[in-house]
Amino acid sequence: MAIEKTTAETAYLEAFGAGRAGALAPHRRTAFERFAESGLPHRRLEDWKWTDLRRVLAKPYPPLVERPAPSAEVAGLVARSPFGEIARARLVFADGWYVEDASSMPVSSGVDVTAMTAVQGAAVEVSPREDDPLDQLNIAYASDGAVIRVQEGANTDIPIELIFVTTGAHEATHTLRNVIEVADGASATIIETHIGAEGACVANTVMEIRLGRDARLDRIKLQHDGPSTVHLSNLLVTLGEQAVLNDFTLTAGGEVTRNQGFITFAGEHARANVSGAYLLDGKQHADTRLVVDHAVPNCVSRELFKCVMDDEARGIFQGKVIVRQDAQKTDGKQSSHALLLTENAEFDAKPELEIYADDVVCGHGATSGELDENLVFYLRSRGIPEARAKAMLIAAFAAEAFDSIENEAIRNVFNALAHDWLDESTGHSAHGASE
Amino acid sequence: MADVETIERVREIDVDKYKYGFETEIESDFAPKGLSEEVIRFISGKKEEPEWMLTMRLDAYRRWLDMEEPTWAKVDYPKIDFNDIYYYAAPKGQDGPKSLDEVDPELLKTYEKLGIPLKEQEILAGVRKQGEPSTLDEEGGGEYASGKVAVDAVFDSVSVVTTFKEELAKAGVIFCSISEAIREHPELVQKYLFSVVPQGDNYYAALNSAVFSDGSFVYVPEGVRCPMELSTYFRINAENTGQFERTLIIADKGSYVSYLEGCTAPMRDENQLHAAVVELIALDDAEIKYSTVQNWYPGDADGKGGIYNFVTKRADCRGANSKVSWTQVETGSAITWKYPSCILRGDNSRGEFYSIAISNGRQQVDSGTKMIHLGQNTSSRIISKGIAAGYSDNTYRGLVSAHRKATHARNFTQCDSLLIGDKCGAHTVPYIEAKTSTAHFEHEATTSKISDDQMFYCQARGLNEEEAVALIVNGFVRDVIQQLPMEFMAETQRLIGISLEGSVG
Repeated sequence: MAIEKTTAETAYLEAFGAGRAGALAPHRRTAFERFAESGLPHRRLEDWKWTDLRRVLAKPYPPLVERPAPSAEVAGLVARSPFGEIARARLVFADGWYVEDASSMPVSSGVDVTAMTAVQGAAVEVSPREDDPLDQLNIAYASDGAVIRVQEGANTDIPIELIFVTTGAHEATHTLRNVIEVADGASATIIETHIGAEGACVANTVMEIRLGRDARLDRIKLQHDGPSTVHLSNLLVTLGEQAVLNDFTLTAGGEVTRNQGFITFAGEHARANVSGAYLLDGKQHADTRLVVDHAVPNCVSRELFKCVMDDEARGIFQGKVIVRQDAQKTDGKQSSHALLLTENAEFDAKPELEIYADDVVCGHGATSGELDENLVFYLRSRGIPEARAKAMLIAAFAAEAFDSIENEAIRNVFNALAHDWLDESTGHSAHGASE
Repeated sequence: MADVETIERVREIDVDKYKYGFETEIESDFAPKGLSEEVIRFISGKKEEPEWMLTMRLDAYRRWLDMEEPTWAKVDYPKIDFNDIYYYAAPKGQDGPKSLDEVDPELLKTYEKLGIPLKEQEILAGVRKQGEPSTLDEEGGGEYASGKVAVDAVFDSVSVVTTFKEELAKAGVIFCSISEAIREHPELVQKYLFSVVPQGDNYYAALNSAVFSDGSFVYVPEGVRCPMELSTYFRINAENTGQFERTLIIADKGSYVSYLEGCTAPMRDENQLHAAVVELIALDDAEIKYSTVQNWYPGDADGKGGIYNFVTKRADCRGANSKVSWTQVETGSAITWKYPSCILRGDNSRGEFYSIAISNGRQQVDSGTKMIHLGQNTSSRIISKGIAAGYSDNTYRGLVSAHRKATHARNFTQCDSLLIGDKCGAHTVPYIEAKTSTAHFEHEATTSKISDDQMFYCQARGLNEEEAVALIVNGFVRDVIQQLPMEFMAETQRLIGISLEGSVG
């Protein structure tokens, strides 16, 4: 059945032009054709049943084909990153384009950083997800991106920060595709910060991550986009033998957020810890689709999501654990918990298991509810005012997800962010509760 | 005790030698093959239905023509040719028998061969008079020990014998075939039929609405506790006959009814289609307990043959404080596509779903439930136990949702899967939608295999491998078995053993 193209789809199709982002050039035409075929994902597709992009993108957001004029706002937005003291090196992208002036490259050897546009042909491997319209859209229109390669045995545990800012000056789609390769025995910490100003736009960011044997990556993502930003992201990870991935995402900004994660175990005895938190209010909408594919035996995956929804916000968690026929001795656990602060908040979940091997231990749990009145009563009976008691409980609820962050300085940043959010959004104050 | 029996059954029966795979030779009265308005008129005419019923059937048929076969379930089967099926087959000479004497002896033999000598069978066979205690009651007691079971036997689409009608009538309970109800109680049928599962609800429900040949109708009047268990056996008999049962149960204010449905089918090579619809309506303070044991032919070891079971079952807890409980034991059928659901419309209403789904050989099961919370203080509970063995796929698919006005809704869901062998699959696809903060939803799912420790422990105590598996599996599903009426408990434990035959070693 042919569906009429929306104005947003038409704008994308008309804006296509081959040429940019060197390493992506060979894939661009195919991706465009696939996107032209599928169009934007809509609610009739099972994976998108709660987030209909055809409806979300109600007007055109054509990609920015030319580098925009330097904006004075960029520096201010970059300064809002709470990781200023923590990151060792920074790469800044504004409205989809690399900003050299605002960036500082890593100083040590062992890490290569280049812009996607500077890489020619097959020098960087790109693995498109052919059945994913979001990924096709990304490849077809990516204007730039970072290529970070951590060399064999190198240890760069002092974080590298990628900052993606949207100035809101352009009603456009800002598309970036990044590739991170951590070679055998190497380890790295990468922070991904999204900060945006007011003004409607679409951000479409893909992270392709490949971890070699014994490699380790801590990836921390803070999404603090502007209030009218549609945030689309795709995380594609392949883990080699004995590799370890620690991944954390806080979704606090944006109007509509769609986070996709596809984690594939390619080598045995690897481990992936994927966690996240939502702090949503107003009419924010956040949808996480996370697929963990146990393609080989003896791997461990852990997922923990803590979602706080205030006002009329809507949180969605769709997690899927696949255990292939050969993937014996798999240990997979997934849990998602929602805390709804008002009558009109909403949480939807679809925690799936798809299991073809018998010698496995897999499970998932999902809960949804409001604050436990008994707990509030307990705190109040000890002299803590109601608002503060509630704030303490909300902060504690979210903090369980932050606990998976091993770097203490970074963990503290998130705890502080949660407290700020409670102050601003709910009027509850958690501050002073423990002072 | 029961486990020993299970093992004996397992030894006796082979996957290829389906126990109930015999065919009774009774002449059938067929409608022409295929589906058309003429066939629907033929069925409606055969059943001497009033004009309004025919109109509704034709309406359903026209909707069905515009619909597409659903493909979202995790089942895989060759495309069904809906024009290669007989939509009506009535056993000949069965123009409404009123007593056992009128029943074809072949039929009674069939019940004997079915080997489910439940209390119903005893009564049917005249072994025991109604009201006498049954030997089956010895181990139990309580509400199911009455020794009274009313049967509405369905033999290839037509209700052939209805027992205990008089006693039920004394209590005011109407228990008859749906065709009879359409003729005798049109006001009730018109009011409630299609009110829970409308004609155009889904592809198979629409098909059923157009061609349903028979089924059961129950009406329990206000304040009446139905004096006995009601029961129906479904049996698919004639070759190439789709079975399209339609069941409608109405529990009026403050009433209670327990309904049992069990089924077996003879062996054959061609796939058979079964698309039933069950509608339950519980008014204020009423309770309906609906139990199913499904043991249709699952196909042979290579997956050949077997029943396609596409069923729509839905309960409407329409009144305040009403309650509906679904209990199902699914061991048969090649393909199962079945989601007994509860619409919790009345305030304080409650829905329950207890399920055991066992798949072996090449069986594919996609089953689960929907609990739709609309009223305030509604609660629901889901306990699902899936067991996959052989080359089978076993999927739990369920929805729990709370509407914005469904304040203080509560749900607890537990889905456990057990895998036996490394060629099978167990999947869990739950949907949870909470649109109000006061809804408390808890969902938990686990997947595991029988642990080596458990097996070792049992075998160290002298059980062989199959006995150990049967023991462990019966323990795994115990929570659900306990929900079954006494009549089905023993049979179910045997069925579990039979279903898992050949899955170990």
